[in-house]
Amino acid sequence: MGWLTHELERAPCTVEISHRFESLHAHVRFDNGTTVYPGDSVRVHGPEIMAPYGEVIREAREATIVRASGLERLWTRLTGDFEVMELCEFSFSEEVTL
Amino acid sequence: MNVQNMHSADATTAEEGLAIQEEQAKFDSKAATETAMQNTLLTPRFYTTDFDELDAIDVSPVRDDWDRLIAQMVSDPNKGHFKKNEDWDRIDWDGMEPQLRKEFIDFLISSCTAEFSGCVLYKEMKRRGTNKDVTQLFQLMARDEARHAGFINDALREAGVAVNLGFLTQKKKYTYFRPKFIYYATYLSEKIGYARYITIYRHLEAHPEHRFHPIFKWFQEWCNDEFSHGEAFALLMKTDPKLTSGVNVLWIKFFLTAVFATMYVRDHQRPAFHKALGVDPDWYGQEVFAKTSTLSKQIFPITLDIDSPRWSAGLKRLQRANADLDRARKQGGVAGFARRISAQMRAVTAFAGLYFIPAKKHRLPASTRLEPAY
Repeated sequence: MGWLTHELERAPCTVEISHRFESLHAHVRFDNGTTVYPGDSVRVHGPEIMAPYGEVIREAREATIVRASGLERLWTRLTGDFEVMELCEFSFSEEVTL
Repeated sequence: MNVQNMHSADATTAEEGLAIQEEQAKFDSKAATETAMQNTLLTPRFYTTDFDELDAIDVSPVRDDWDRLIAQMVSDPNKGHFKKNEDWDRIDWDGMEPQLRKEFIDFLISSCTAEFSGCVLYKEMKRRGTNKDVTQLFQLMARDEARHAGFINDALREAGVAVNLGFLTQKKKYTYFRPKFIYYATYLSEKIGYARYITIYRHLEAHPEHRFHPIFKWFQEWCNDEFSHGEAFALLMKTDPKLTSGVNVLWIKFFLTAVFATMYVRDHQRPAFHKALGVDPDWYGQEVFAKTSTLSKQIFPITLDIDSPRWSAGLKRLQRANADLDRARKQGGVAGFARRISAQMRAVTAFAGLYFIPAKKHRLPASTRLEPAY
């Protein structure tokens, strides 16, 4: 990992999208066991995956992980906490007027 | 034979041709409905945390309470609850007052996104962890959140809003939260969620004429899930006394203030929603703050002095500054910029004013566990 450079990594992944009444979820699992770290970006390749209502779709895809530089990782660790209020649920969006 | 994928010209008999046409018609009408729906892209955020720290959690000091709570979650008392039955009344969406419709859809989309993001976060924690107690808990919570999201999604579909889960193929950045911040924020979020839902539920029990959508009838069992999730985070915090003492008490005070203040501001931005429910947002805010404070005494050594005159005055100042800030942003230009700076400073001062109201201190109970009682 460089302090200022990005590294690209490709990883096979399994995408699961459930668009059912019982469960609405979407997850990406890297099949080679790799993990993401603070500041990394992930993009799953291929066309948009749309699960029709009532269905679960599992697809094998490839993803590119853009590894954050050392500096970015440090920065994300130091400042990520500022966004922690996103975890709180208030029923409404932050839009002041609709 | 898969009639859906055939064209009627491929049919070898008249009956088969009709069957194909019929299937095609059904398919077309379904596709037309999907296209006509307003498309809302769900945009959950993606987080990482210190997974080694999560793995190091040892629940032995609260083992009995922990096992009881997990057993209750595993038994899944709400499994059959999130089903639409005869209590699910038909809603005339087109006849709904437009502002109410907008605010209510904002409520549904925001709630759905929150449940969905919760599910993503919990699932990630489950997947990256190796501590069996912790991963089991996060798996169970992810299950509940995905179920809630599915239920809200169904209500949205009735309103002609389709959620789009295509975000996975967009580039997404993983941010980072320290585990303790996740505990404080999600603990409070789950408990305030419980207090919000149960207060509306009890209010509508007494005033059913204000129940403008059937989803509110499901709030009681729904918020019991939120309650159990909050219990789990309380027990997690109980395993490490440092999390609720020393300098961390200042963090706890910050989270309490931020969560209460944000709720106050957001609720006051949705007047049509609260008017339709017959709820005064000031009354509602105080009710929810009082309930959340009582509950949070199970693990937090302080509660905010929400009865202080400085409290309600500060909230009003914050609300006004926030509304001014929005107007200034929309105004733009040099004058808008100056007003923005002024509004931002007033918002910061108002928040600081709330934060520095002396908190009420109390002793933590020996046993952390609570049952939903409101």
